[in-house]
Amino acid sequence: MLETENELHKKFWEIFSKQDRQKIDEFKNHMDKFAINFNLYKDGNFIERSLPFDVIPRIISKEEFSKIEKGLQQRIQALNLFLEDLYTDAKIVKEGIVPQEFVEQASGYLKEFKGFSPSKKIRTHINGIDLVKDTVNDSWVILEDNLRVPSGSSYPLSIRDTYRKIYPDFFEQLKIEPIKQYPSYIKSAMNHVSCGGINVVLTPGRFNSAYYEHSYLAQEMDAQLVRAHELEVIDKKVYFKNYNGKRIRVGSIYRRLDDDFIDPKFFNPESLIGVPGLVEAYLAGNVALMNAIGNGVADDKGIYYFVPKMIKYYLGEEPILHNAPTYLPYFKEDMEYVFKNIEKLVIKDVAEAGGYGVLFGHEMSALQLEDLKTAIKANPRRFIAQELIEFYDEKCYLDKELKDRKADFRAYVVMGEDIKVWQCGLTRYALEAGNYLVNSSQGGGFKDTWVMEL
Amino acid sequence: MEQLLTANVATNLYWLGRYIERIEATLKQIMVAYDQIIDVDKNAGIALYENFSTELEYTNAKDFLHKAIFGDHSANIAVLAGYARENAIICRNHINTQAFGEIIALHALFQKSSNSFVDIDYKLIDEADSLISEMWGEISKTQYKRISDYFLRLGQLIEKADFNFRFDEEKETGIIIIDEINKILANLEEDKGVKVEQTQTQEMDYEVIINNIHKKIQDLIVN
Repeated sequence: MLETENELHKKFWEIFSKQDRQKIDEFKNHMDKFAINFNLYKDGNFIERSLPFDVIPRIISKEEFSKIEKGLQQRIQALNLFLEDLYTDAKIVKEGIVPQEFVEQASGYLKEFKGFSPSKKIRTHINGIDLVKDTVNDSWVILEDNLRVPSGSSYPLSIRDTYRKIYPDFFEQLKIEPIKQYPSYIKSAMNHVSCGGINVVLTPGRFNSAYYEHSYLAQEMDAQLVRAHELEVIDKKVYFKNYNGKRIRVGSIYRRLDDDFIDPKFFNPESLIGVPGLVEAYLAGNVALMNAIGNGVADDKGIYYFVPKMIKYYLGEEPILHNAPTYLPYFKEDMEYVFKNIEKLVIKDVAEAGGYGVLFGHEMSALQLEDLKTAIKANPRRFIAQELIEFYDEKCYLDKELKDRKADFRAYVVMGEDIKVWQCGLTRYALEAGNYLVNSSQGGGFKDTWVMEL
Repeated sequence: MEQLLTANVATNLYWLGRYIERIEATLKQIMVAYDQIIDVDKNAGIALYENFSTELEYTNAKDFLHKAIFGDHSANIAVLAGYARENAIICRNHINTQAFGEIIALHALFQKSSNSFVDIDYKLIDEADSLISEMWGEISKTQYKRISDYFLRLGQLIEKADFNFRFDEEKETGIIIIDEINKILANLEEDKGVKVEQTQTQEMDYEVIINNIHKKIQDLIVN
């Protein structure tokens, strides 16, 4: 189902209909030449491919986006307060708002970091929040918070760059919010929390799935792109190893690797992509890490359930943006509801990500549902259940015709001196009709998102 | 203010300069040989590839083009374009976006041609040559003032010197190239805070000169 066409959509189609159709090929060529590839491993082989993309943008009115913006600012503020509280006084646990057991069982919770406050008490620097627009209430619903290492922002940056070159008419004639400033948001946030020194982007390396993005962002942010062995920790301070042998102090690291791999001396000793001694430097307050270590607890699918409660607890406000109706089998009454309605719910394994571990009750056989119930009963904390959200399709130009495809939206929120919501985001669409999974790892494509006004 | 670079980026910039220059110079030689093979000297391609210590066998001018570009030998242009692409990916945030795009397009051009059933001809070389010219044009916009440009330029010059000596071109040109290399090395040495002796060009074997310079560059990059 598509959203009702409004004046903004009409303006887009009015200009699009006048464009030479050959420009679509030109668009594709430009994306292949300058844009960003996605690396993946398939059957043990390294493959580079460009993500499928579509030339028809998603259009969100400025007025509508303004509500999303306020809701996301509120949510990130609450999540940052939650993390800071959890790792220091843990009042929210002591007061029973979030059950202690729930926190301790979250795989991203790192009790070793209890008592540590990072620079400026900011933990959620760069965040990717996944939303969909519900067809029933015609409103945006939050599906997931990504507060560890959210990726994907370079896709909208590159497709917009292409758009502006191939189709300048749109940007000349319509009021579309510019988006080039996103890397500068990150740069400002890095400078804000910096412990003195240069900014670097820490990448696992050339063969990481998002290497192109790391490189692209480093360039746009005027930061050095480094691999682990290009940094060195001396006396709990981090240094960049310049080509000429000089050592330059590092104040802020935008790390693109998970906690487990960041420091082989502290976490996984097998990690070859981490910097030995980095955690010591971090705990000594000599370097800022974006995002903070231990954030995984806040984007745990189980903790997600409590975010509206966090907003009320820390900010004394009602949530502006709502979660999808979620049930925790951990609670007895929720377990009963889930078992009664399992065939119409979406069951998610909290340990999985990227569209994996998502089960749709309506697609499962009776036997499979019984097996699932047994698994839930054995480990209720491992699962959450959500009402199936019927979200809007987006019009996509696929195989030379217009087709409707389900699409979500990842919004990017950067927290530094203040909380900035990027006036764009990553719209991902499913390649197959009726498919609800839009993740790139599930074969989904992406398109530009225009925040527009008349 | 000095420009920061990792040793990895510096090395990749240097090799990017070398590979692109090698592709460009080799393509020029290939076109000369191709033209001769058509109706002047059937063995012109064999003589050319002797300079690369490669025995190249072909049946006619078009076959020569195919073997020169895609053949199983170390001067294979398509493979060199693949190396250049890898270098460019690694040092992407230190090169001009447009230049990066030209390198990606160059590699894609050879990839596409290698999978095509249509015979390759001069158009492929013209197109590749044009992409390389555009790439150098984009890079020269910074007027070679940054440390990253120095490494790229060094790679380009050392390859030029190599071709100059290898093809026995004018000695004066070789001396000019070595002088320019020395100037860049002096700038990099200043950045590093060390002093390295100038490479002398008199009475020296070209291989010794090239190897000396290459070693100096390696010494400049601290891993």
